[in-house]
Amino acid sequence: MKLYEFEGKQIFSQAGIPTPRGTAVRTAQAAIEAAREIGYSVVVKSQVLRGGRGKAGGIKFAADEQELVQAVADLQSMELSGERVEIILIEEKLDIAREFYMGITLDPRESLPLLMVSAQGGMDIEQVARDYPHQLFKMHLDPLAQPRMNQMLDLLLKTGLQGKQLVQAAKILHNLVRSYFAYNAITAEINPLVIDASGNVLAADSKVEIDDSALFRIKAVQGFERKTEISDPLEAEAKSLGISYVGMGKGNIGLIAGGAGLGMASMDMISAHGGVPANFLDLGGDATMEKTADALRVVLKTPGVEGVFINLFGGINNCEQMAKGIAQVIDELQPTQAIVVKMRGHSQDEGWAILESKNIPIIKFGTTEEAVILLLEQMNKKRVTDHGHFS
Amino acid sequence: MAILVNPDTRVIIQGITGKQGTYHALKMLEYNVHVVGGVTPGKGGQKVHGVTVYDTVAAAKKEHQVDASMIMVPPAGVLSAAIEAIDNKIPLIVIITEFVPVHDSLVIRNMARKAGVRVIGPNTIGVISPGKGKVGIMPGYIYSEGSVGIISRSGTLTHEVSSNLTYKGIGQSTCVCIGGDPVKGTDFVDALHLFRDDDQTETVVMIGEIGGAGEELAAKYVIENGYPKKIVAFIAGQTAPAGKKMGHAGAIVSEGFGTAESKIKSLGEAGITVVRTLDELLQAVQ
Repeated sequence: MKLYEFEGKQIFSQAGIPTPRGTAVRTAQAAIEAAREIGYSVVVKSQVLRGGRGKAGGIKFAADEQELVQAVADLQSMELSGERVEIILIEEKLDIAREFYMGITLDPRESLPLLMVSAQGGMDIEQVARDYPHQLFKMHLDPLAQPRMNQMLDLLLKTGLQGKQLVQAAKILHNLVRSYFAYNAITAEINPLVIDASGNVLAADSKVEIDDSALFRIKAVQGFERKTEISDPLEAEAKSLGISYVGMGKGNIGLIAGGAGLGMASMDMISAHGGVPANFLDLGGDATMEKTADALRVVLKTPGVEGVFINLFGGINNCEQMAKGIAQVIDELQPTQAIVVKMRGHSQDEGWAILESKNIPIIKFGTTEEAVILLLEQMNKKRVTDHGHFS
Repeated sequence: MAILVNPDTRVIIQGITGKQGTYHALKMLEYNVHVVGGVTPGKGGQKVHGVTVYDTVAAAKKEHQVDASMIMVPPAGVLSAAIEAIDNKIPLIVIITEFVPVHDSLVIRNMARKAGVRVIGPNTIGVISPGKGKVGIMPGYIYSEGSVGIISRSGTLTHEVSSNLTYKGIGQSTCVCIGGDPVKGTDFVDALHLFRDDDQTETVVMIGEIGGAGEELAAKYVIENGYPKKIVAFIAGQTAPAGKKMGHAGAIVSEGFGTAESKIKSLGEAGITVVRTLDELLQAVQ
């Protein structure tokens, strides 16, 4: 779960990290009230979950109420990387002296959290890594140990920070690391960390993503409202049914796979034979009859689908249950699309018998490639038949 | 002689009294695995398919030699179950559960390394040495004994490739599903290292997928250390769109990192035979 900037700053603030004074609003009226309380000039920041906001013009400044109303209207009419702006953060405008970077992310090479700091703040960390690699200072964090203040000080000393600001920044970094662990974050980033003209150090932005698998125990974010972030209605429907479905926005072959790897490999095989996958769907490890039926209904609804490839395994799942789900949808919808099932594993004989009774072609011992070729043949046949029928 | 699991491996199942635990206890017994006990706190003394349930791993260990534990508890319970197994120095710990929080996996991985025990998973179907035994949930009859070692991030692709090989008359030494999560106990490099000196294994198949750096690190390992056996690799997700999580938590391409192309290139540079489809994989192994 990605957090909006203002949500991340709430968490920072609770963790003892100083943030600018600000209020998140949804209307111009609320923005005016917030700005009066804060005092002009203010920063008007669109709250979106995707990156690249600054470059896209999603951050504005207002010196008075007239400018504020205009800025709010401008942002509300904006779409940033396809995301409509609904929430706007009104914040005090900082008098910035210097900008730093601090962030934690998972290093896939070491399978350890990686802490990074730099005196090059305010730009993408990828750009810092590319353009100023010698000014990016890194340290792996030990998941079994508490982070120590001296480690924070030693790392930040490399950025040239000194005196009171060094100590303030180290406290912030220490709290950021503790929050990263406490909130089960995937990423926790302050960019920029600002030193203002009076020498105060504060987090001018936040970028936090919480591990979806840990949300059940992270109370602080459970109250954060989320309208579905999914623009594809079928993706949203599938998600509400507990099915991992990704629409491709094109394609003629629908896919149901029993497993993520098999799903990806099936898509690759469909492409290799000139088909175009219309979706990715992983049925997951709790594929009951109902869930299998739900999945097939979603795939059959996918626009443009002429054929459906169902590639399943009875490992943690049971072939008989999954076959029952498929048969149920065949009876209920009598789909015109070609369907080929490849299925083996626990209770395969029972599963095959059910599918055979519905005249669904089954690949029992063959490969995924053989199944894809059979499906494409069936689709061609249907096309010829349909064409004949209409002419 | 295969790796990790052999005919003598004595296994306990943590979470044996759950629906999945009970079902797979039976499947393992049918595969002639020595399931010497189950563990569910509060249910000590019960029996599941004739297997005694203990309240703790330590209690099971008092009565039996335990070589491996299979963990099949819900995600929120995995951390404490794994810590219990690590504290009791169970040499092989296989975590089947999906949706384990990444921070828990970080703790489990690092504790296990310190304690010198091996963790496989989470989010795995486990390990099978066909004809000898399994610590996992795979249907045994689609696997057959032979000389191909398999390392896979995906459970169903382990089934798929093994069953395809089986139907072509090619058997497997050991199939290790390392799991689909970004942080896992055993990586490609660790499994390659185990297969290296196994006399039964003549060819190693690596089944990778998009996301993460495990395949690139495997390529680096082969370049730096050489490898005495043929390796054939396949990467799933070559046609997957960027920025979308493809079912596995670990299978996401972000900002050009972890792409199929970068993995295929790295593996190729290490002299590993990289195939583009599952059927090419069969031909390359034959």
